[in-house]
Formats: sequence, structure tokens, C-alpha cells
Amino acid sequence: MSQINAYRRKFMATLGGVAVGGLASSVILRTVQAGDVPAKPADQPVSNQVRWGMLIDVNRLTDGGASMVEACKREHGWGNDPKARPEQQAQWMRTVKVTDKLTKYSFTLPVMCQHCEEPPCVDVCPTGASMKRADGIVQVNKHICIGCRYCMMACPYKARSFVHESLTDQRPHSPRGIGTVESCNLCVHRVDQGQLPACVEAAPNAVIFGDLNDPNSRISQAMKALGGSQIRADLSLNTGVRYLGL
Amino acid sequence: MPLLSHIKSLLGLVLLATLLVGCDAGVPEPNLAPAKAKAAQCVEPTADMRKNHMVYLDVHRDKTVIEGIRTNKHSLNECINCHVVPTREDGSAVHYTDEKKDHFCASCHTYVGVKLDCFQCHADRPQIVENINYQHKLSSNTYHLSAQSVQPDMNDLLWLSQSQTQGATQ
Amino acid sequence: MSSKTMVYSELHASKVYYFILGICLALVVLGAFSFFHLEHEGHYVTGMNNQVVWGLPHVFAIFLIVAASGALNIASIGTVFRKGLYQPMGGLSALLAIALLLGGLAILVLDLGHADRLIIAMTYYNFKSIFAWNIILYNGFLALCILYIWTMQDRKMKVLYPYAGFFAFSWRLILTLGTGSIFGFLVSRAYYNSAMIAPLFIALSFALGLAVFIILLFFVYRLDKRELGDLVLNRLRYLLAIFVAAAMFLELARHLTALYIAQRHGVEQFILLEGGIYTLLFWIGQVLVGGLIPLSLIFCRALKNNHWSLLLASALVIVGGFAQLYVIIVGGQVYPLELFPNAEVQSSFFDGEIHAYAPSVWEWMLGLGGIGLALTIYFFGMVALRFLPRSLADTEVEAS
Repeated sequence: MSQINAYRRKFMATLGGVAVGGLASSVILRTVQAGDVPAKPADQPVSNQVRWGMLIDVNRLTDGGASMVEACKREHGWGNDPKARPEQQAQWMRTVKVTDKLTKYSFTLPVMCQHCEEPPCVDVCPTGASMKRADGIVQVNKHICIGCRYCMMACPYKARSFVHESLTDQRPHSPRGIGTVESCNLCVHRVDQGQLPACVEAAPNAVIFGDLNDPNSRISQAMKALGGSQIRADLSLNTGVRYLGL
Repeated sequence: MPLLSHIKSLLGLVLLATLLVGCDAGVPEPNLAPAKAKAAQCVEPTADMRKNHMVYLDVHRDKTVIEGIRTNKHSLNECINCHVVPTREDGSAVHYTDEKKDHFCASCHTYVGVKLDCFQCHADRPQIVENINYQHKLSSNTYHLSAQSVQPDMNDLLWLSQSQTQGATQ
Repeated sequence: MSSKTMVYSELHASKVYYFILGICLALVVLGAFSFFHLEHEGHYVTGMNNQVVWGLPHVFAIFLIVAASGALNIASIGTVFRKGLYQPMGGLSALLAIALLLGGLAILVLDLGHADRLIIAMTYYNFKSIFAWNIILYNGFLALCILYIWTMQDRKMKVLYPYAGFFAFSWRLILTLGTGSIFGFLVSRAYYNSAMIAPLFIALSFALGLAVFIILLFFVYRLDKRELGDLVLNRLRYLLAIFVAAAMFLELARHLTALYIAQRHGVEQFILLEGGIYTLLFWIGQVLVGGLIPLSLIFCRALKNNHWSLLLASALVIVGGFAQLYVIIVGGQVYPLELFPNAEVQSSFFDGEIHAYAPSVWEWMLGLGGIGLALTIYFFGMVALRFLPRSLADTEVEAS
């Protein structure tokens, strides 16, 4: 227990001791965190000098990540497709409750696309629609997605969904439509404009977002001090989404 | 070759039927009013746009998705924001699939019979609930795109505070 | 070539023939109807979902594609291994291969979320994807089969016949390796990720292709009242036995391997013991109906030279092979992905649960449509060109 407390203290320290709660403080939070995602000029392409990543402290998520999932739903508008059955609904992100079979130790964490450095979904896609941007964000280029769903077969995290019906009135910044596969894209539209992904904003005290390639970024510092484990590390995919407290 | 003759006669029948139907229906009148309304303010000359809008969109879409270049000039979202009115006077939503064909893109695409599949994924009208200032004003009476990127900060903050109060109540 | 005395002719287009062609076309219409429905409504009308992403249409499609590469074996044995007895059936075998492949590909393509973007699949290639390679392999296979038939039918091209045969044979082996690797390369799925899948698919293709070939050969010769002797049928009979045994052997090896890997115990226990319909399909469908019964039918001395027992055995091999592919494709997906070893997981996205899949009528229609298309091409081809040896009676075959 003392170990856990120790790293919680360290985590708080890396967050810079920002106070929480209310609108006023969230404005402060934004200005502090704005340094995590430097605004890129709109006409410049993304660079491979950067690799975006996320560190989620499972123990600090009071709701197991439910508010992150809600924020994602709101941002991208998935989860309420009118005709799809429950098992056909898209889920870009979900909270998973894990209970160890022997020890019965239990925790809940949010699971979405892990933005692998070696993504199996990109390897298998016949057209190259499933792609990794230069800055490490894995996403679907829906313009050339033929809907074969091979990437869904290949993903070890079950991070991808297929849209089973025609949709209207999508979010203008997050196109999603019939017959294509979709998944978490780390809110590319926000990151490109220097904003944080929606889910990170929804859990500012438990999640750090930033550049994994920059040794001085908050996320790199935090990972250096506290570690950051991967789900299914045995697959050697070198994920960009890391967890504390698994 | 009895099989061949069967096929021939069948083909003939189908051809005749399509011809007859085609003649009967006539050419429907296009509704170009929405398209013409804002032609003068477009990011490219009208004649160029008429001919090449799909090329501009195609080039821009790859730049955006693959390279993350998010300029406004040839962005489909901005076309929609400027050219499509979200609702009719009676309050009903304007969609490209509507029978009335008063959606900016549909008015012409239906007439020339070219399939539009942008809007299978993209929103086909401005989402006013999300962003009240969806059109960028240059001055008090011109609605056009500024060279600068969008700054939806106020909205965002509003949204953030909402999510926090929600988190508190849970 | 030893078949100098062999005379070939077109299939006589009788009333029964048109009746059969009509049934096949009706199936094609059903499939087309299903396609337009899926294209218009979206995949929510099917039983497939975000857990079981490939369903019955893929079972049909992979069955036909695998059988297609196997169907070409008769021609290959004649050309590459120079067995004179098989040479007269070479053209028929290549025709069947083309027909089955087109039927299977049609299902695969029409089930895509965006079948209208087929041109993208043909113009954008990710060469790291085994799926993209398969697109090239399928097209190449079709081209080679057509070339192969050409060298058989045109005297001027005869010089190329052995080369075409050899290339077609090599290509088909690679093609089935590719089809198997679609599953074998999936690192995340415990039931698939194995090098054994590719050779298993090859063995399976030998068995399925031959079974389909035997049934259709027998049926067509009956239809056209041509002679088909014991010599040919008995050769095919024992060949079938070898292929079925090989497929069973590789499946056994695959499961034994998995049983030695603790990580795979869960999925093996599911398929072999607790999987309900999948366990039933595995033991009854695949092992008993698709393996043990056909083998006993073939090797039972009392049934020697009995055509009907061979036909029954072939039909059972087809049923068993279908069951096997269903267990592999659907059963392998129904078992949940393991995010955390040695832990139970629970979520709103069905993590850690056995997923449900029940094929809808649309999926059946699409699958049957593919079979209808394959048979239509096959029957039409036999009327259009001279594929059928006038007689395959023992005396004729021996003479040639």
C-alpha cells in the first residue's frame, strides 16, 4: 500500500500540483496543459519527430474511466446508432473491469485504440486505409476503407467497430458512416489544433497526454519516474497508450 | 443454339423496356437556386469550381487525413457551413437525400445523376447545436471564410465545465 | 499427350439442363437480392456484429475459394505428375476451379461494407497485407486457369501446355497458403495464430475440391448419358481418402500443439468441450461426418465399386468441410479476446463473454447465391466449349 501511495504522490508531483474542481480551475488546467500539445500551423503536415501518447493512472480514475467514455461519445457521436443491435453498436472506448482469477484483485480501466508503434490493423489492411500517421496516431482513412473488417480481426484490443447502418448529422469534425470501420483516433482534429483529446480533458487528474519522443515532456517525465505498462505487452506492439496501476 | 437466341430476345426486351421508361419520365427540372445564391463568394472562381470542385476536395481530403493539414480553404466542412442552410423555413432539417432536392450539393448532383458519397460519413449540414458561430463572418454582412483557423474555445470551456459538474453529481 | 484417342464434346443442352441452369440462376437472383438489401440497409440486417465480424458469407466464400484451388488438382495430377488417367478430365477441372473461385469471390466482394469501392481494392495496395496479396493471387489464378484451358483446347498452344500446368499448380499451392494465412497471421486470436493453418487449408482444399469434382462429374455424366467407368471413379475414391486423412491429420496436429500451450487452453476447451453448437459441429460435423464416415465408406470392402457410396462419401466430405470452416471462422471469433491473462474481464463491449452469432436469412441467401453463380458458370462453360470426354469408360481410359 505504501508503494502505491508513494507513486501517487509522485504522480501528483508530475502533474504540477494543480488544484481541481470548478470552471475557474479548469481554465487554469487548460493553460497549464496547453504546453502538452503545441499548436501546429494548420498548413503544416504532422511530423514524425512527435509521437503522441497517453498515460492513464488507473488508481486515480474515480469512475474507472466512465466520464472519459462519455466525453468520447459526445465528441464523436457514437453509441446511439438507431438501428444497430447492442452488439452491433460502435464502441470507440469502453471501461473494462478486470478481476484476477486467483487473487480476486479488481480494477477498472478504459480501453480504446492503443496506438501501437507496430499496429497489426495497419499490417493487414488490403488498401492501406488503416494507417498510422507520422506522429504515431493510428486511424482509419475512411475514404479508401472497403469495409472488409480484417483490421477488426487483427486488433488484439477489440478497439475497432464497424458501422452497420446509414447515419445522418454526424459531428462535422468526426465523420463516421455506413460500411466503414472506425476507432479512437486520439481526437486528431483537436490535437492538430493544439487541443487535448476529449477524454483527456474529461479526466485531467488521472491522464497525461503528450509527446513520447520528447524526453522533457510531462508524459515522458512521468513515465520515466513511474513506468507505464502496456496491455498485452507480450505482443511487443509498443503501444502509445500506457497505464499506471495495472 | 436455342440458348443464345433466348438470351438475345431477353436482352432486346430489357433494352426496349428501358427506352420506353426513359422516354416517358422526361428530364426533371434541376433546382439550382441554392447553388447560385452564394456562387460569387466562393474560394475559387465559379467556372473553376463547377468543373473542379471534386479535385479540390479530393486533394484536400488526403492532405487532411494523412498529413493532418487542416486549412479551411478547401475543407468540405467549410463548403457545407457556407452553402448549406441547416433547416428550412418550416424548421425541418435539410438533408442531401431529401425529395425536395434543395440541398446545395444534391440539387445539381441529382440532376446530372452523379452519386454523392461524401455524406455517408460527413455531416451534410452545419451542426448548429455544436457550434453556433459555424459561419465565419468577415464583416457584418459578408459570410465568408477567414484565413485563420477556427477558435471554438468558448464553446469548449462551456462543455468542459458541463462535464465536470456532471462528474460531480455522479 | 496420351489422350490422342480421346474425343471431347460439348454438353448437350437438354430440357433437364435448362431446368438445372434455371435453378442455379434463381440462386444467383436470390444472392443479388440479398446484396442489394445489404448495400441499401447496411449490415445491421445480418447476424454479424462487432464481435463476430466475419460470418456465414465468409464461410461460404472461403469454402468455395478453397475448393476452387483443390478442384484444379485433377488437371495438375495429369499435367505435372503425368498420370494419363487424369489428363482427359483436366479441362473440366480447370473450368470448375474458375467457376468455384468466381462464386467465392463474388460472395466475399458483395459482403464488403463498401462493395462499390471494389476499384479501390484493385488500385490501392498495401503489400504488407496478406489480403492484398490474395487479391493478386486470385486474379492470377483466374488468368492461369484460362491460359491452361487455352493450351488444352487450342492445338497451336499445345506447346505451352506443360508449362501452364506447372505454373497453375504452383500458383494454386501459393494461393491456398495465402487463404490459410489470412487466419494464420492473426497474432491476436488464440484459435488462429498458427503456422499449421496454411498447410491445413491446402489439405482441406485437396479434399473439398476433389469431393465437389467427383459429385459434379458423376452428375454431369449421368445427365448426358455418357459412360463413366470404375477405373476413373476408384482412382478418385482413394485419392479422396488420402486427402481427407491428410486434412484430419493436420487438424489433429494443430490441436495437439495448442493443447501444449497454456495460453490456448481456454479456446481449445471451448471448441472441444464446452462450445455448444461449435463443439457439436467439430465432433459430429467435422470429425465424424466429414472424416470418419467417408473414410469408412471408401475403405469398406463390401462397398467397393459402389458409386453411390463414393457419392455419399463426397457429399459428407463437403458437409464436414463446411462445418470445419464454420468452426474455424465463426467459432474462433465467438471465443473472446484475452486482454489480461489469468483474469476475468467484464465490459459494455462484451469483453470476456462468449459472443453470440446467428446467421440471418440474408447471409444464407448471399452464400447460396455464390454457389448458384459457381454452378451457373460451370454448366454454362460445358455447353460453350468442349470440356467433356465423350466417354470415360474403362476401355477408353485404358486405351489412352
